[in-house]
Amino acid sequence: MTGIEIAFFVLAVATVASALGVILFRNAVNSALSLILTLLFLALFYLQLGAIFIAIVQILIYAGAIMVLFLFVVTMFASEASDTELQDRIPWQRWVAGILGLVLVGALSYLLFTGTAIDSSAIATGGSLSHVVNTQGNIEAFGLALFHGFAFPFEVTSLLIVVALLGALVLGRKA
Amino acid sequence: MPLSAYLIVSAILFTVGVTGVLIRRNPLIIFMSIELMLNAVNLSFVAISSKLDSADGQMFVFLVLTVAAAEVVVGLAIIVSIFRTRRDIDVDDMNLLRG
Repeated sequence: MTGIEIAFFVLAVATVASALGVILFRNAVNSALSLILTLLFLALFYLQLGAIFIAIVQILIYAGAIMVLFLFVVTMFASEASDTELQDRIPWQRWVAGILGLVLVGALSYLLFTGTAIDSSAIATGGSLSHVVNTQGNIEAFGLALFHGFAFPFEVTSLLIVVALLGALVLGRKA
Repeated sequence: MPLSAYLIVSAILFTVGVTGVLIRRNPLIIFMSIELMLNAVNLSFVAISSKLDSADGQMFVFLVLTVAAAEVVVGLAIIVSIFRTRRDIDVDDMNLLRG
């Protein structure tokens, strides 16, 4: 077993365990902290895959900005946020959801192992990233791809952020 | 590592997110489970991007990240305004569009 494989398995187990923590902790604050841990582990996965910019953005935006917002709201409603006192009105839903989750992960794994492999033509058409990374650098490769092929979606993103900002302002205003 | 290993981890994370949406009654934790699902898809995007040696998957992850940030902002604002008008937080009670 090489070092990369050991790192992968340790990371995979840690990621799945912290993801389970998100949905199993009684207290919402613990869930949010567990989600931050999951996002950090995912950033390590991205580093392992060579996506350095995505890993940094994941830590800055997701584990930083988004989760701070989450923790703010969770602590704002800290007294009500632990749902231990909420009685479940549909008690069988928990078990059905667990069984259906197992069915889903089984179906996805089955499809992954029996589905068609990536055909070599896709690799041939796509295969340029490692060359650009080697000649220009990692972040430069990301920026070149973003502003050459994805300039329009990138600009639309700014519109989306403005709309989200206005929406949050309108919803957060004292009615 | 083979691509399928990353995809299996991604599938497990996605399933954990789906199960979280189904079994929890707290809207904040349901929201976190949705974030978990988005991140599971992001992991498979990055893994396939690295396998295909193409930057397109990383672009999609970047855009998904932006959409997720916008979604969190609006979603949390909605949850806060629901909390403000009614004190209980059980999602089973929120079955009317009007307060």
